[in-house]
Amino acid sequence: MGGTLQQRLAGGDEPLIVGATGAAAVGGDAFDSGMWPLHRAEYLGDPQNWVNDPATIVLAPKAAEDSGHVPFLIDATGLDGSVDEIVVTIDYSPFPHALTFRPGRAKPFLAFAVKYEIAGALRASARVDDGWHVGAAWVSALGGGCSAPAVAHARPDWQQGFGELRARIWADTGRLRLNLRHPQDTGLADGIPAHHLTQLRLLDAAGEVIASLDLFEPLEENPSLTFILPPELAAAPVTISAQDNLGNSFTGTVEAMA
Amino acid sequence: MNILAPTRRQLLAGAAATLLPIPAFASTSSRFGFAPVEVANGIWMIEGAREVFSRENGGAIVNIAFIETPQGAVVVDTGSNLSMGQEIRAFAEERLGGVALVVNTHHHPDHWFGNAAFDDCRIVALEETISTCTQYAQDFAESLYAILGSWMRGTNTRPGDSPMQGGEARIGGRSMRFIALSGHTQADLAILDEETGTLIAGDLLFLDRAPSLPDADFAAWNAALDELQALAPSGTVPGHGPFDRTDQALVQTRAYLTATRARLDQAAALGLSPIEAMSAGPVPEFAGLGANPEEYLRSVVQRWADHETEALPLIGGL
Repeated sequence: MGGTLQQRLAGGDEPLIVGATGAAAVGGDAFDSGMWPLHRAEYLGDPQNWVNDPATIVLAPKAAEDSGHVPFLIDATGLDGSVDEIVVTIDYSPFPHALTFRPGRAKPFLAFAVKYEIAGALRASARVDDGWHVGAAWVSALGGGCSAPAVAHARPDWQQGFGELRARIWADTGRLRLNLRHPQDTGLADGIPAHHLTQLRLLDAAGEVIASLDLFEPLEENPSLTFILPPELAAAPVTISAQDNLGNSFTGTVEAMA
Repeated sequence: MNILAPTRRQLLAGAAATLLPIPAFASTSSRFGFAPVEVANGIWMIEGAREVFSRENGGAIVNIAFIETPQGAVVVDTGSNLSMGQEIRAFAEERLGGVALVVNTHHHPDHWFGNAAFDDCRIVALEETISTCTQYAQDFAESLYAILGSWMRGTNTRPGDSPMQGGEARIGGRSMRFIALSGHTQADLAILDEETGTLIAGDLLFLDRAPSLPDADFAAWNAALDELQALAPSGTVPGHGPFDRTDQALVQTRAYLTATRARLDQAAALGLSPIEAMSAGPVPEFAGLGANPEEYLRSVVQRWADHETEALPLIGGL
């Protein structure tokens, strides 16, 4: 399977978390019910040519341990053809649109985590020339992740460390993993206005875009993201550039460790 | 009613106590059917299922300890809900001469949500435990009602009312040492019964059940294990798992923490995402412990940021 690395840990050659498809991926709810048709219309432009496709793998835990940080991994590297974008939506959330990923020259592979308000499916719709290939995973969650204040606000000095960008490239696997310190406020917590990332881009040494993301409220507080780059891009410096809705910019350059 | 005269129920209970063989114990309303065992002279234990919370176990996943004194029992931890607390209390009332004192070892809800059944008793805990119980009571209640359903009926959150700091104590004529530690949570209380040398360790020690790490501080926990080791107890009631007459609980808890920490460090250093670290499952040596892989999966989410921050260099910012 694609680019997942769980086998690098002892005992990881028998993965506990595997992709599901059909009703199992959406909690027993047959596809095309609930909010999904509405989200398809709003966020995918109501396409006729879409299919549930097990080749768009969505991995998630069965249950959310922390509704503020529900980890996901999308692996569309098994799809035939070039993936132009992957639209990630959450069936039951006050903010259904979590992110849109345009892999560009990176692999169509992304690990991230979101806030969950109540149990439901997260869907990844990958657009290839001939249409949309949709994968999903259903997560049981007690919820409240979108309406709870960010943990950072429990401290009087929440701005300390704000914007810190950490990242590393592993040249052998092409992995780029980054973490950005950001409260990711949805605006639903009492008295705390929306403050979240809107965009993140990976740029090569010439300043050309490698991959880009549109980001919205559901992304977790202090988000981490995983990308996979082809060998030539992983061997060179990569600049990470992000913006939030209050006009802050965050930037840093990362290079594979020797 | 003359409050000094025994009630009919107490008389019946007293009669039953002299007739029934140990450990059979008929509670007045037995939903859980506990069978407490005397593990050392005057030290009783109810062993919890080596599982995570579920509708099947009703939250009876935690060990409860009783220290018998001439003035009643010191009840250490009270379980996950009112009915569990009531059955724990019924045993103390009917077989151990009542409740002298209730102790909560730390703030995780399986250890104190049964306080609801001890409303008229003094409930002691470390000061920080009482404040974290108060802070998280609502969140815990929501989670447990969702997971356990009707098992939670009537359970009000009632944090301890008597803050303490640890030290020597004589309760009902029996000497015991309260030891204030941390590592499993910010405040963990262990109790050494001086008469038998039995250690009631709370969740600083687990045996054959995967340790839970939502509030773990590895360095502090290791230091706490050193202190417990130095006590050289004659036997140990761990927070979860069977009574231990050797040092197995200590050895296994330390090994689990060390290996799990190393696994998460390795996962972060290899560039894995939390999903991949979860998917790989627990350290193989510990995959068969009770409550695994569920407890390991929880731990990855709970502890991931600690490990990732170390693995990723700071490269920029605002």
